[in-house]
Amino acid sequence: MPEPMPGRTSPTPTCNGTLAFVTDGFTTLAQGLDYAAGGETGVNFYSPRGDLSAAVPYAELRARALDAAPRLAGLRLRRGDRVAIVAETSLDFLVAFFACQYAGFVPVPLPLAVNFGGRAAYVERLRGMLQAAGARAALAPDDLLEALRDAARPTAVGFVGTLDEVMQQPATDRPLEPLGADDACYIQYSSGSTSFPRGVLVTQKAITANARAIAVDGVRLRRGDRCVSWLPLYHDMGLVGCCLTPVLAQVSVDYLATSSFARRPFVWLQLITRNRGTISFSPTFGYELCARRAANRADLDLDLSSWRVAGIGGEMIRPEALEGFTGTFAASGFDGRAFLASYGMAEATLAVTFAPLDSGVASDTILRGAPLERARKAVPPAPDTPAGETRRFARCGRPMPGYAVEIRDAAGRRLAERRVGRICIQGPSLMQAYFRAPDATAAVFTRDGWLDTGDMGYLVDGDLVVTGRTKDLIIVGGRNIWPQDLEWAIERLPEVRAGDVAAFAVADEADRERVVVVVECRLQEEPAIEELRREVQATVSRVAGVECLVVMAPPRSLIFTTSGKLSRAAARQKYLDGEIGEIDARPVPAAELPSLAIAG
Amino acid sequence: MAQQVEPQVLALLERYNPKKIEVTRETALGDDLNIDSVAAMDVVMEIEDMFEIDVPINQVADLRTVGDLVDLVRRQVEKD
Repeated sequence: MPEPMPGRTSPTPTCNGTLAFVTDGFTTLAQGLDYAAGGETGVNFYSPRGDLSAAVPYAELRARALDAAPRLAGLRLRRGDRVAIVAETSLDFLVAFFACQYAGFVPVPLPLAVNFGGRAAYVERLRGMLQAAGARAALAPDDLLEALRDAARPTAVGFVGTLDEVMQQPATDRPLEPLGADDACYIQYSSGSTSFPRGVLVTQKAITANARAIAVDGVRLRRGDRCVSWLPLYHDMGLVGCCLTPVLAQVSVDYLATSSFARRPFVWLQLITRNRGTISFSPTFGYELCARRAANRADLDLDLSSWRVAGIGGEMIRPEALEGFTGTFAASGFDGRAFLASYGMAEATLAVTFAPLDSGVASDTILRGAPLERARKAVPPAPDTPAGETRRFARCGRPMPGYAVEIRDAAGRRLAERRVGRICIQGPSLMQAYFRAPDATAAVFTRDGWLDTGDMGYLVDGDLVVTGRTKDLIIVGGRNIWPQDLEWAIERLPEVRAGDVAAFAVADEADRERVVVVVECRLQEEPAIEELRREVQATVSRVAGVECLVVMAPPRSLIFTTSGKLSRAAARQKYLDGEIGEIDARPVPAAELPSLAIAG
Repeated sequence: MAQQVEPQVLALLERYNPKKIEVTRETALGDDLNIDSVAAMDVVMEIEDMFEIDVPINQVADLRTVGDLVDLVRRQVEKD
């Protein structure tokens, strides 16, 4: 945790004194920080209880990064080498990240671990990323160094240490060669499994184009804006939306660690109140968590009237949950029109579409069931349709200028409005490739150069409506879980064979995702089956930190493609259709049947 | 203070033990009690408030059993 800066007991100001507000024309991140360093704005870090622990003007961030850069370069790294950095929400991470920009290295933000007993899975995950990125140096805060060392042991990483240890290295006397306008900027690992992580190579062109579009066209940043963020810096929304875009627009940011938010979500709202924050983003579940915990907290004394952009992204937007937040916090000055829906992904750097500002979350209600699932049409219901037969989706707005969205069918043909298909995108900040993964890259680009997101959706009056995120990805509580990671861990259990397991997500009535694991069970005795079920649950909890529903199904319940690949989509459909059930399907004795006739 | 840590932590964990299994120092927080990552943060917050300590969050992944958690709390209580 950063030490408090001596003599600085107040956060950096919201507005610069004389430095002009500029959001356009930067061609590299380093150039953007150089410019921001001419003012007084900067970054602030808060403790889990909301006390200011460090206030660092961009000028000081730049000075520290320039001090660290030649020391990093002294670690016998070559230009373009990857430097992995565990992305704790801290000054050290930002210093190391920008030191790489100045020294000509490509930073690779690494995730943090969050669940009880999750160390082994965490080490494995870090190792997969270090290997895939071909990292040559790796940095972590002191208390994660041991895990990082374990992860780096069988890799090409030559230096593992803290930023303090880097600062004790001698500085190289060669002149620094910052990453230039045609160079890479960083590698974002936000998708892929533990064994085959997929890193998006984000270029300087992509980050400056996307940050400019977000600032100018998306949220229309202006003098007087102040960002508050608890989003992790190893995810695109936290890093691009709430860290790099503010740097490229000289906007002050108040940071709360994600784990602090998870413990005390109100600190987020208190920081907005105290610092008159105007912009803050969260997945739906963050708003939901606040509303749920607010029940007995009349003592909070919140004033959220300054909050003009309450951005939403990162998972399926659930309008009902957001309405719950508005209902709870309207008395504290929150205006539901501040909600801003958006759509994007790491492969596009971050943002692709934004809803209009100051209008809240607009939704589109359509018929569920056959029209949606079989005919793949988004049909507006007749006025007297019962609520149970409809579904409401958020409208995520239109592509920003320079970006385009098309809905295509499986054969790649463009679909008309209100036809549901694959969301394909184009724009100036699309990745050119996953880092060193040509097959994965080829799999996501269409022949005519569009990125096939794998997400499903439709267009209505030009607005994008997302009906389902990437088909196999499981997103629970805002976290991406790759089903393979769960399946492989479960297959290591002695009673389970490879290919016996499928993990997928199903939505509950409130559109929250829930993990379902189907295991083809070769056991017959009930105690052994129950013991295995418990082990599967424990494995999922250890690997991903989530609860799951385990179905012990008879052999040959799962479906494989002609090339022998497990079809999770088919398994999921069979499960939803009730065609996959428990192996233990003995008839229930009549005495145990609930007496429906009498109760009804 | 340090002596009371274990019974207090055990009492707190009872609310995260819907199946009412017997909780000892050897009980695994994730595997046996099924405390997921969201509930883990709730447990951490309650422990911080109860003992007026800060739990170093990056050590959470190293906490496998109830005993690991009790020992960590004890160390933090003695430090403050």
